[in-house]
Amino acid sequence: MSSHDGPAQIVRPLPDGGVRKPRSSVAFSFGSPADDSGIGRIDLNDILIRHAQATFLMRVAGASMRDAGIDDGDLVLVDRAIHPSHDHVVIAIVDDGFVCRRLVHEAQAMRLCAADAAVPDLVIAEGTELQVWGVVTHAIKSLPV
Amino acid sequence: MLALVDVNNMYVSCERVFRPALVGRPVVVLSHNDGVCVARSNEAKDLGVEMAQPWFQVRHLQRQAGLVALSANFELYGDMSNRMMTLAAGYAPRQEIYSIDECFLDFAGVRGSLSRRGRELRAQVLQWTGLPTSVGFAATKTLAKLANHVAKMADRKPGSYPRELAQVCNFAELSPARLEAVMRATDVGAVWGIGRKTRARLLEGGLRSVFDVMRADPVALRRQFSVVLERTLRELRGEPCLGVDEAPDANQSIMCSRSFGEPVLGLASLVESVNGFAARVAEKLRSQRSVAGALQVFLSTSPFRKQDRQHSPSATLRLTPPTADTRLLAAAATRVLESMFRPGHRYVKAGVVLVDLQPQARAAETPDLFGDVTPEPAARRDRARLMLAMDALNQRFGQGAVDVASAARQLRHHAAAAKQDQRSPRYTTRLDEVITACA
Repeated sequence: MSSHDGPAQIVRPLPDGGVRKPRSSVAFSFGSPADDSGIGRIDLNDILIRHAQATFLMRVAGASMRDAGIDDGDLVLVDRAIHPSHDHVVIAIVDDGFVCRRLVHEAQAMRLCAADAAVPDLVIAEGTELQVWGVVTHAIKSLPV
Repeated sequence: MLALVDVNNMYVSCERVFRPALVGRPVVVLSHNDGVCVARSNEAKDLGVEMAQPWFQVRHLQRQAGLVALSANFELYGDMSNRMMTLAAGYAPRQEIYSIDECFLDFAGVRGSLSRRGRELRAQVLQWTGLPTSVGFAATKTLAKLANHVAKMADRKPGSYPRELAQVCNFAELSPARLEAVMRATDVGAVWGIGRKTRARLLEGGLRSVFDVMRADPVALRRQFSVVLERTLRELRGEPCLGVDEAPDANQSIMCSRSFGEPVLGLASLVESVNGFAARVAEKLRSQRSVAGALQVFLSTSPFRKQDRQHSPSATLRLTPPTADTRLLAAAATRVLESMFRPGHRYVKAGVVLVDLQPQARAAETPDLFGDVTPEPAARRDRARLMLAMDALNQRFGQGAVDVASAARQLRHHAAAAKQDQRSPRYTTRLDEVITACA
């Protein structure tokens, strides 16, 4: 595939082999709704969507990301405007399908890791490309009511 | 300076964003009850599939060459178009949306390297939406369209033009000698507004390349051809002749949009505007004896007013059966508008786009052209007469002389949907059809 025009971003290891520090806590960055427009109720669009034109909804199937807070059947918001980097939960293209995994980028190697030790990592071999479709910013789960 | 931004093979590119397996394969998108190819990937073009070619003529390529055919998914294309257009609008002071996949940007008063801006725009649209675009810069619309053509061909067929013109091509940055070389290498048929017949006649007269036409005598061209061709020539020479909304009609969509002088906050005045747009596009539609299978409405706040809440929605409604009836189109537009309007936003632009255009004759074959609103053939005839009378009055007394009172109740939904067996999910407009990601 000619990577430059594909729908996914190609991610390669940092040239210096640098290791970005894993974040110790999850920092949510909420959008900044205009504060002085003075009208209206709190709008979830403002809260959950930072880049409206780049944000897409997907449904997650499978439980391997449960320990990362994403359960089978959850809706996730996927933001394509964010550059994928270490420790992001991403939607990657694997064998022409969409897969939800954590992107781990250490010591010049990149892996897609499930939040489940029983699921083997997908190691991105040197010379191959990892296609990241977008970065997961939020998970929406419905509770039984 | 103007730019024309255009999505490469729009419908196919939209499908590929959500179906990576289609990347690199020959793909066509079908419309009109899956009867006609309305979009082709580069691979399908290389197989010889022509624009608007009937499907049965190329069906054999499915087995022979792995050609993939998809039914048109206008909800998806409308939403992806809106994302692209909204991003493009942030790059220039003025945007004129020309069709579902093209817009002109007016960079008047903007300093700095426009090519670089063009590349940034292209990169942002590609990253944010997954859609590949081409950008052509030049002094007039006709030239910008031609620069866009060069940008696209240089990318698609290496060797056709210098490689650095690929994807983003700015005629204003080329030396006269290099520009001449480009014009010599470009067939007159690539010029906006020069159709097959005109091209054939130009060839008879020995005018083969754009360069040949540019050297022709404008007065002679007008005498032999038309005022339109003379205007095209003046545009090619860098003299702007096409104002806002004065471009040749796009092939596959009809649109009408306007930037408002003052931001609009209220639904009522938006409904009024959108009804006016619907009346305009309906008239254009009937003048080319077509009907539309889907209608898109978009709204936009100003990307330059950072202090404002931003909201630039769009939505597409399928029209089953396809129609050219002003009342139905206005009612559809109103309904779409009402569904996406959010109070408290300062809207500066709105528009109505008709897509899935098909010849009226074809649609007339389907039994209930106007659905159960007017089931009797006589009433149907009356409806057609009413529309003709409206068009005549508007032409005589000016646009909007006769208008349609908002008639949302006229709109009916029909179960009898068009044939579209291979339609992909509506990934971005239906919650139950979003992509599933495996975890």
